[in-house]
Amino acid sequence: MSKKILLVEDEELIIKLLQKKLLSEGYDVTIASDGEEGMKAIRESKPDLVLLDIIMPKKGGFEVLEEINQDAELRSIPVIIISNSGQPMELDRAQRLGVRDWLIKTEFDPKEVLEKVVKQIGK
Amino acid sequence: MKKDNKNQDRDDNNSGPTISFTKEELLAELDNLNRRLAARDIEIIQLKEKRGEEVKELQVIKTQLEEAKGILEVKVEAKTRELRNLTESLEKQIKDRIKELQEKVEESENSRVALMNMLEDMEELRRRTEEEKEKTLAIFTNFSDGLLFFDSTNKLVMINPQAEAYFEIDANESKQFIGEKIVNLKENQKFEYLAELLGSKMRKIFRKEIPMKKNLTLEVSTVEVGSEQNRVGTLVILHDITREKTVERMKTEFVSIAAHQLRTPMSAIKWTLRMILDGDLGPITGEQKDFLEKTYISNERMISLINDLLNVTRIEEGRHLYNLILVNLEDLTSNIVGSYTEIAKRKSLVLEYVKPEQKLPQVKVDVEKIRLVISNLIENAIKYTPVKGKITIIVSVEDGRVQVAVKDNGVGIVKEQQERIFTKFFRGTNVMRMETEGTGLGLFIAKNIVETHGGKIWFESEEGKGTTFIFNLPAIAT
Repeated sequence: MSKKILLVEDEELIIKLLQKKLLSEGYDVTIASDGEEGMKAIRESKPDLVLLDIIMPKKGGFEVLEEINQDAELRSIPVIIISNSGQPMELDRAQRLGVRDWLIKTEFDPKEVLEKVVKQIGK
Repeated sequence: MKKDNKNQDRDDNNSGPTISFTKEELLAELDNLNRRLAARDIEIIQLKEKRGEEVKELQVIKTQLEEAKGILEVKVEAKTRELRNLTESLEKQIKDRIKELQEKVEESENSRVALMNMLEDMEELRRRTEEEKEKTLAIFTNFSDGLLFFDSTNKLVMINPQAEAYFEIDANESKQFIGEKIVNLKENQKFEYLAELLGSKMRKIFRKEIPMKKNLTLEVSTVEVGSEQNRVGTLVILHDITREKTVERMKTEFVSIAAHQLRTPMSAIKWTLRMILDGDLGPITGEQKDFLEKTYISNERMISLINDLLNVTRIEEGRHLYNLILVNLEDLTSNIVGSYTEIAKRKSLVLEYVKPEQKLPQVKVDVEKIRLVISNLIENAIKYTPVKGKITIIVSVEDGRVQVAVKDNGVGIVKEQQERIFTKFFRGTNVMRMETEGTGLGLFIAKNIVETHGGKIWFESEEGKGTTFIFNLPAIAT
């Protein structure tokens, strides 16, 4: 059974590109286009990994992280942040919330995102 | 009397019967008279002798008296002299005594004056001390930072109103904390954080943050008062940085949003181009690939410009270093150099990394910031060294500091512009002709980062021959 990845991201182009990349590697990809939808999806489908954007409508990435962190059942799900920003204060906060990795979109490309995913949950 | 007797005798003789005297009778009378005269003469002689003896006796007495008088006179004279001497000596003694007393009086007058002067000085000193105390107290009381003063035994002796406000205690309450040791203060919830931070032995603190309550963050620093041998106490300064923290948070949010707004479209473009170039979206022709590569590079440039701009905002945010960790600069540098191999190769540049000769001491750095510095220096070297040039990165230990040098044989820096090279937005005229893109922020950022770490950055350069940028960081003894 293929591993389930939840992509929580509001930028359509990024969603399409990442989805294509991840699907090509055989992952099962679910999309949530804002934090609220993302949180709902996490609770319902319990994915193997969450790729999470930070700045999103309705509910931001940090709020999602905090909710995951407060839920013992969800806390073990690995989360990789994909963000356009990456300031030390943000990284610190994310680290405290148990985030596995933080990727700044302009500094990585889909291939590298894929590598990070493989590193966390395997193929 | 005797004379009178003789006269009487004669009278007797004359008054006898005168008429009937015979010659014999007369002769007998004469003889009688003669005898009587002779007896008288003897008597006179005897008397004379007697008188002479008496005179002699008297003379002896006179002589004796004169002698006695002489002796007496000598004695009197001696006694007089003695008395005079005594008087003189007494007078001298009195004079001396008087002089002595006068001196004493004078002396005591002097002492009195000196004492008065001393008292005046003391009074002046006291007044000045009082004045100083008042000044100090005014400063202490009205200082906008919270201040606490602990004596040399770490007992609280003073607390100013601002500090009272921070701890939410009033002046009356604060009195009960005066004289308390720092260890005892810890038991009070209000002082908990501070006492914890200071420890029982009054740790030296420099700008440590403590969260007091919601909406109040204090920055604590301690200042030791007095010399090392004679420690008077410790001043604890509490500076309210709530506003700075808020501004910092707001700036972070702003930068985050700006980054999002500016970077989002660019990362979308980047990812799209990358996937097309990698063939993820189907095959493309050589020409298409060529154009898309160039578009990709332009996009990367734009990304790096925005990164520079955002970094400047961050640098000027208060020159904060986050996440200082101990690292070996060798690993970090060789990693960074490695990531530029490909780019250097494309320009046919030799990129050489020279390892340190000895084991490097560790440095305490914000890794991301130092990575930015090294990357920046290498990028500059790559950009401004003509094709087939050589770039050498040397890591070494110099004077107990870890040093990184990035050496190139590129275009160099125009002599007249050398002193402006670290200025914000400055770009050399020669490099502007080579590369129109560039913010002129890289070296400005690098200098700020290095100096915030307690390091130094400098360069050696000759136009047309090359440039070497060198920076060092303080080593941490392990």
